[in-house]
Amino acid sequence: MYLFNSEIVNKEKLTQNIFRLRIKAANDFCRVATPGKFVMLGSDDSLFDPLLRRPFGICRWGTDWFEVIIKIVGKGSSQLSKLEKGASVAVHGPLGNGYPINKPENEQNTLILVAGGMGIASIASYLFAAFDRKQPLIGTFLLYGAANYSELILLNELTDADAFGLQLQTITDDGSCGRQGLVTQLLSHELQNNPQSQVFACGPEPMLKSVQKVLQKNECDGFLSLENRMACGFGVCLGCVQSMINEDDETSVKTAKVCTQGPVFPAQQVIF
Amino acid sequence: MVDLKVEIAPGLVLKNPVMTASGTFGYGREYAPYFDISRLGAIITKGLSRQPKIGNSGVRITETACGMLNAIGLENIGVERFLSDELPILQKMNATVIVNVFGNNQDDYANLAAKLDGVAGIAALEINISCPNVKAGGIQFGIDPQAAAKLVAAVRKKTSLPLITKLSPNVSDIVVIAKAVEEAGSDCISLINTLIGMAIDLERKCPILGNVTGGLSGPAIKPVALRMVYQVAQAVSIPIIGIGGIANARDALEFLLAGATAIEVGTANFINPQTSIEIVEGIEQYLDAQGYSKVTDFIASLELN
Ligand SMILES: Cc1cc2nc3c(=O)[nH]c(=O)nc-3n(C[C@H](O)[C@H](O)[C@H](O)COP(=O)(O)OP(=O)(O)OC[C@H]3O[C@@H](n4cnc5c(N)ncnc54)[C@H](O)[C@@H]3O)c2cc1C
Ligand SMILES: Cc1cc2nc3c(=O)[nH]c(=O)nc-3n(C[C@H](O)[C@H](O)[C@H](O)COP(=O)(O)O)c2cc1C
Ligand code: FES
Repeated sequence: MYLFNSEIVNKEKLTQNIFRLRIKAANDFCRVATPGKFVMLGSDDSLFDPLLRRPFGICRWGTDWFEVIIKIVGKGSSQLSKLEKGASVAVHGPLGNGYPINKPENEQNTLILVAGGMGIASIASYLFAAFDRKQPLIGTFLLYGAANYSELILLNELTDADAFGLQLQTITDDGSCGRQGLVTQLLSHELQNNPQSQVFACGPEPMLKSVQKVLQKNECDGFLSLENRMACGFGVCLGCVQSMINEDDETSVKTAKVCTQGPVFPAQQVIF
Repeated sequence: MVDLKVEIAPGLVLKNPVMTASGTFGYGREYAPYFDISRLGAIITKGLSRQPKIGNSGVRITETACGMLNAIGLENIGVERFLSDELPILQKMNATVIVNVFGNNQDDYANLAAKLDGVAGIAALEINISCPNVKAGGIQFGIDPQAAAKLVAAVRKKTSLPLITKLSPNVSDIVVIAKAVEEAGSDCISLINTLIGMAIDLERKCPILGNVTGGLSGPAIKPVALRMVYQVAQAVSIPIIGIGGIANARDALEFLLAGATAIEVGTANFINPQTSIEIVEGIEQYLDAQGYSKVTDFIASLELN
């Protein structure tokens, strides 16, 4: 874990209300980044309003930088959106466990990535890490759903030469790109074709709930990346906890801190 | 260099006046990656109960202007697991440990006090009296001077540890409560706990917190805390620990001026885990620059105009 003030080296607008920041970081930070981990970000001069830092997935990183993709939804994200190239940000991270990235034992197993809305920022971290390692993505599916075409970000990057082998399917609530419907419909279909798949999913809670149901129905394991509200991000406030099945005693419930024990959890353990 | 030592209870001298507030510092070891926690005056643990407690469901935290509301519901691992799993780690780290406890009734408090009495590695007990008194119909011990005094006296009988009573600000006159717990044998008073507040989601037309109401903390409550510390300092003769919205050394120094012998840093730990140690350094620099030889000369030196 590192705690530092850093500089924004690039800012890019992806849509009307989604932007990408590239932030300078020490080699040590970049070495411990893995797909699915996150940072707590704050503006240096927020003067306590907003007070707390906000969690964002580390979407991509190099040797001395990392990137986050942020959707403006409220006070914190909107203040970060006002920072320009050269501005200073406060960073705390990398935090959390990240996706289990050991290759499936059986090479033939497919990996199905499921992203809903801004969940793509977390899911894309797996893909970008694969691109950057020049790892082929044969047998990897990306099922990506959003409200409409303009909310489907990163499509160019996820279909260019780096993404060799990746099978991308999109779906939108209004049918403006790909099929009309919900991303879990795509998942049901893919799991029928590839019942032995590993699944990683990130998105809004209702989507994760239905991913969990689809996995259960298909008797398939998977991992969900949760985005509970956080105050601290490092396990001290107990604000982010999620109810979990207690494996030691199936009749009782336990809680897990999403920030330190997650944000990625085995799907069958989460109690929504 | 200025001498930062303060005595917060008979015989309990801290190396500096900076502590960390219960519920914002985990069990302490979570902060070890960020700095040497033995450099703090003391660390105060998450509130412990006799049995583990799972806390509230639903949304537990939400930010408000310059503050936050929490409704964690006092989730904790219980006193037994603290003693077996956490305290030994803190001892190894040489941290000065103050244990914060709460219960549902007088027996719970007395039992916890007895259990922790004489345990090596515990410097003092802080009792959180902002919990419902089940016997008295669910009202807080902390809002009724008689109930508060009875509780403190009962705990006092069960422990030889220095006893700190942590007051709730959700009362019409905090001075009355402070005097009552002083009389009942508390060695020290810490204040304030969170102010009860509420946040509403206009889009969904419902309360944001699962628990409907929650405790307000952070810079937003500092003026209220400062006023209460000042008032209590005028009225009691035991040491006072100031809590509420302290985010930097200047805030901490203001509480010392108002009459606090020491302070606790709470919500600010969430924003920057090094806040508390930066406050130790900031107090030292300020007092050095001002030519003080000891912090005790600065405490309660507020000049009224
Ligand atoms: C581990 C993790 C990774 C994340 N990664 C990303 C990312 O890569 N990109 C991205 O854009 N966002 C991400 N988020 C979500 C992001 O943290 C929130 O959108 C952000 O904190 C909102 O802050 P704000 O001040 O802008 O909004 P606020 O003013 O705090 O809230 C705006 C609105 O959003 C609601 N809200 C706030 N937080 C949450 C939440 N956690 N769940 C549901 N509703 C909420 C509020 O009730 C309010 O209606 C992630 C969250 C977590 C926990
Ligand atoms: C998330 C959270 C949890 C808390 N838990 C406890 C607790 O278990 N026991 C207690 O006595 N106070 C608890 N408090 C209150 C703090 O110790 C402190 O009194 C209060 O937050 C005011 O200080 P601050 O403004 O610096 O945060 C908690 C506060 C917060 C924000
Ligand atoms: S965000 Fe504070 S414990 Fe997880």
